[in-house]
Amino acid sequence: MNRNYLIVALRNFWKHKVLSLINIVGLAIGISASLVIYLIVSHDFSYDKFHPDRDLLYRVVSKIEFPDLTIHNSGVPAPTAAAARQEIPGLATVTIFRTNGEMKVSIPAADNQNVGVYRKEKDIIYADPQYFETFQYKWLAGSRAAALANPHSVVLAESKAKKYFPGIKPADIIGRQVIYDDTIKTMVNGIVEDFKETTHFTFGEFISLSTLEQSALADFYSWKDWNSISSNTQMFVKLDPGMQPAKIEKQLAELRNRHRERRDKDKKDDTQHFLQSLNQIHFNTDYDTFEQRQAHLPTLYGLLAVASFLLLLGCINFINLATAHASTRSKEIGIRKTLGGSKANIRIQFLSETFVLTLLATIVSIFITPWLLMVFGDFIPPAVTTASVYQWHVWLFLLALILAVSLLSGYYPAYILSKMQPMAVLNQRANAHSSGSGKIWLRKILTTSQFVIAQFLLIATLVVSKQVRYSLSKDLGYKKDAIVYFSVPRNFYSDKKDDRRLVLQQKLKALPGIEKLSLSAEPPASGSTSTTTMEFANGDKKMETMVEVKFADTSYFNLYGMKLVAGNNLQQSDTTKEYVINETYAKLLGFKNPADAVGKFIERDFLVPITGVISDFHTKSTHEAIKPLAYSSATKRSYTFHLALPTGTRNAANWSNTLAKVEREFKSIYPEEEFSYSFYDDSLAKMYKAEQDATSLLQWASGLCLLISALGMLGLVIFITNSRTKEIGVRKVLGASVSHIVMLLSKDFLSLVLLAFLIALPLSWIVMNNWLQDFAYRTNLSWWLFAISGLGMMVIAVVTLSIRTIKAATANPVESLKVE
Amino acid sequence: MIALQHISKWVTNGGLRTFLLKDINLQIEEGEFVSIMGPSGSGKSTLLNVIGMLDDADEGEYNFLGQSIHTMKEKQRSQLYKAHIGFVFQAYHLIDELTVYENIETPLLYQDTKSAERKAMVGDMLDRFNIVGKKDLFPNQLSGGQQQLVGIARSLIASPKLLLADEPTGNLNSKQGEEIMDLFKQLNEEDGVTIIQVTHSEKNAAYGNRIINLLDGRIEHPR
Repeated sequence: MNRNYLIVALRNFWKHKVLSLINIVGLAIGISASLVIYLIVSHDFSYDKFHPDRDLLYRVVSKIEFPDLTIHNSGVPAPTAAAARQEIPGLATVTIFRTNGEMKVSIPAADNQNVGVYRKEKDIIYADPQYFETFQYKWLAGSRAAALANPHSVVLAESKAKKYFPGIKPADIIGRQVIYDDTIKTMVNGIVEDFKETTHFTFGEFISLSTLEQSALADFYSWKDWNSISSNTQMFVKLDPGMQPAKIEKQLAELRNRHRERRDKDKKDDTQHFLQSLNQIHFNTDYDTFEQRQAHLPTLYGLLAVASFLLLLGCINFINLATAHASTRSKEIGIRKTLGGSKANIRIQFLSETFVLTLLATIVSIFITPWLLMVFGDFIPPAVTTASVYQWHVWLFLLALILAVSLLSGYYPAYILSKMQPMAVLNQRANAHSSGSGKIWLRKILTTSQFVIAQFLLIATLVVSKQVRYSLSKDLGYKKDAIVYFSVPRNFYSDKKDDRRLVLQQKLKALPGIEKLSLSAEPPASGSTSTTTMEFANGDKKMETMVEVKFADTSYFNLYGMKLVAGNNLQQSDTTKEYVINETYAKLLGFKNPADAVGKFIERDFLVPITGVISDFHTKSTHEAIKPLAYSSATKRSYTFHLALPTGTRNAANWSNTLAKVEREFKSIYPEEEFSYSFYDDSLAKMYKAEQDATSLLQWASGLCLLISALGMLGLVIFITNSRTKEIGVRKVLGASVSHIVMLLSKDFLSLVLLAFLIALPLSWIVMNNWLQDFAYRTNLSWWLFAISGLGMMVIAVVTLSIRTIKAATANPVESLKVE
Repeated sequence: MIALQHISKWVTNGGLRTFLLKDINLQIEEGEFVSIMGPSGSGKSTLLNVIGMLDDADEGEYNFLGQSIHTMKEKQRSQLYKAHIGFVFQAYHLIDELTVYENIETPLLYQDTKSAERKAMVGDMLDRFNIVGKKDLFPNQLSGGQQQLVGIARSLIASPKLLLADEPTGNLNSKQGEEIMDLFKQLNEEDGVTIIQVTHSEKNAAYGNRIINLLDGRIEHPR
């Protein structure tokens, strides 16, 4: 039976090529979008699913509350682990480890002659022996119990072992030496297999934690300090089965109280610890996970919405076109019924026809998926590639999707078709399609909702891109063009004074092509923020304020074109001796006139005078309001060079020349380091990456929605003009003009588009207005945005319609009347 | 085989009942070859459709092979119909998208006949009607007479006891028409198929062994 259906289906597709193409393209776009989303979601949900007892594994995280700021930190004070192990019952294992940035790794050869050097190695941690009890690795050499028991031991993952000791058997690597950053000498004491499944635990080198604890690093990392929390120091616990996480959290609070009290009795504790399930660490962006990519739920939801919109529009096209064309199939259905076909037979036939069409669309979509992966590359985890399609569960998903789409788009047309009365359609063929006024009504609703979606996305796209443009062109309170900045390395390990940057500063000063030069910390706006609590005594009242602190040298304000509204510029100093505050802070402190703030004192460990007030500027994206801020001069903390280059197109041509010279000077002082610089305006634009990503996603989504909707409309207008060929012929004979007929055929569609616009208008106004509330500084929803998008939609509709209507209207009436 | 009692059918238009069939009483035995005649609009086709279960009567009783059709559920009726009734149309009504072979095969698909069996049955039928060479052609590649031949082959494929023909020769020239009528006669006499045909032509009606005349939805008494 199925072969017969298949044959009819394929012959019908061929007979109505344009229609089939429209359906396949529409569905294929929706299906590929769903496929991509599925790949992303299944990847995001595949993290760390393989650990035995993973439901008992938790990370201990911290929340620190300040008067007007809450900080989430994925680390804990280092002593917490040892204390918890001793004092909290119900914990099967407790492990703490410290992650590192890039390290230099040296491998002395077996004969101690040559040394292999690997400059920028990642995934190196200091781990305690309990790490391998908490997380189960397969041991290729060495033993779990002994591997990290002593200082100066290291366990390598197989991948790193192969890199450092190519061609040597794991057992023979045991005992070899690995040196980190030229100072930490370790001996390989074990080799483990890398985790093969998707995981955040991509560590490849595990140095015994006692190495850290017995060296100067312990002090440097404040390893014994109950008040120092770093996201590099992370603690994981495995609970005893049946143990409630809340109970552990309570005991952690008590533990913290016991130990902390011995030191800072008078101060209120602002820190709380929570247990975060291992299943959560990929999704909760409040707490970072070893600085690896995490799932961004709003983006996932956005993508999900886009995929379902696209899929829905494809299905709507199918339903519209299938019901519109039902009359062309009515004869066949009538005959089949007289040959003994039941309603169920007919329904199954048309559903299987839809199934075949969906299957074809799916095949097409598998081919366009690589392209979609490229287009949406910014939202897609790098691990998701074209190869990800070839997994059994993806095929299972596709099969389920095909069945779902077939049912969703095929059931209603199949129902309509199977209801046809055989004698009615065989005898009264002329009015076969006038009988379905209900169908036309449904078609209008579906078409309108298609255009509501498309119109909504179009408006959203315009608003988001307007806001991004506004943010980028807004006067942020500083100069941002033709400024280049770069950082020089800073050695955290040694206490020795490192004045190499001052030498570089002198050399750069001598370079022509640099207009202004500053050696400070971060530029005015950057991703990282450092805040502290400052106290100000206003009479008897003490004001405690969270203030962002930044560092500048004497030429910084001038270089960035920031205006001093009162007082004087900073004077060069090694550590903080005076503050220049911003207007917001001055106002907050109660000074209506900024000049009044000058000469007052802010209480730190000692009294720091305010020497100047600068006008307000944005230190973050326009999402955030301007907050209190203080600049001071501290050469000790200044490791970033800021260069102002001459502006103008002729000068711009010389920039690369100048930068090449800067690099040469840099290399002469830091021969082992890489020179990488950023243009300030580029890095500012990156602060709006989320918005720019959203813009491009919206552009694609609304473009594709428009395409699918326009295709659907084209299909309908083809059908309408075909079924009205005779009427058009008669009208022309009676003297109707071409424009009259085009209008006649387009009128219904255009009124639907207009209706869609009227529905989308308030909807998009509400949603976009809401979205803009997220920005402290926002563009307004101008009327012309809506006008343009409505007009644009109308133009697209008219163009689409005219593809067919003009042809129908200019056709020779003699021909069309003869055919009938 | 067929017993109609007080069968009436009407359409209501503006509160006015127009009878298509009025109080039809008719008995047809197995093996008969009946011709229904009458002017246009006299209800010939309607009667045939009611007998063929493609249409319901509004009133009256219909017994087919001893079972009362008017009280039957659609599923049972469809079962009965599939097993015993074949239909031939004036306009052939072949499925344009299917080849000759596939058209003939279609009724078997609805009866869930096994593939091998289907192949044999369709093969026999093609042989019998001498259209083996045309089995892969589409309806629009055939002449009217050939199309009707395929239509008849298709109606006979499931070996029905009753063949209903609605002006089977209406679209054919006289030579083609004669061939079809000869075929009907042969089917009736040799295979014992009961045939009811609607026709305008006296000559074709004469092929049958009984003529029923309809006028304005009523049976005229035999002359």
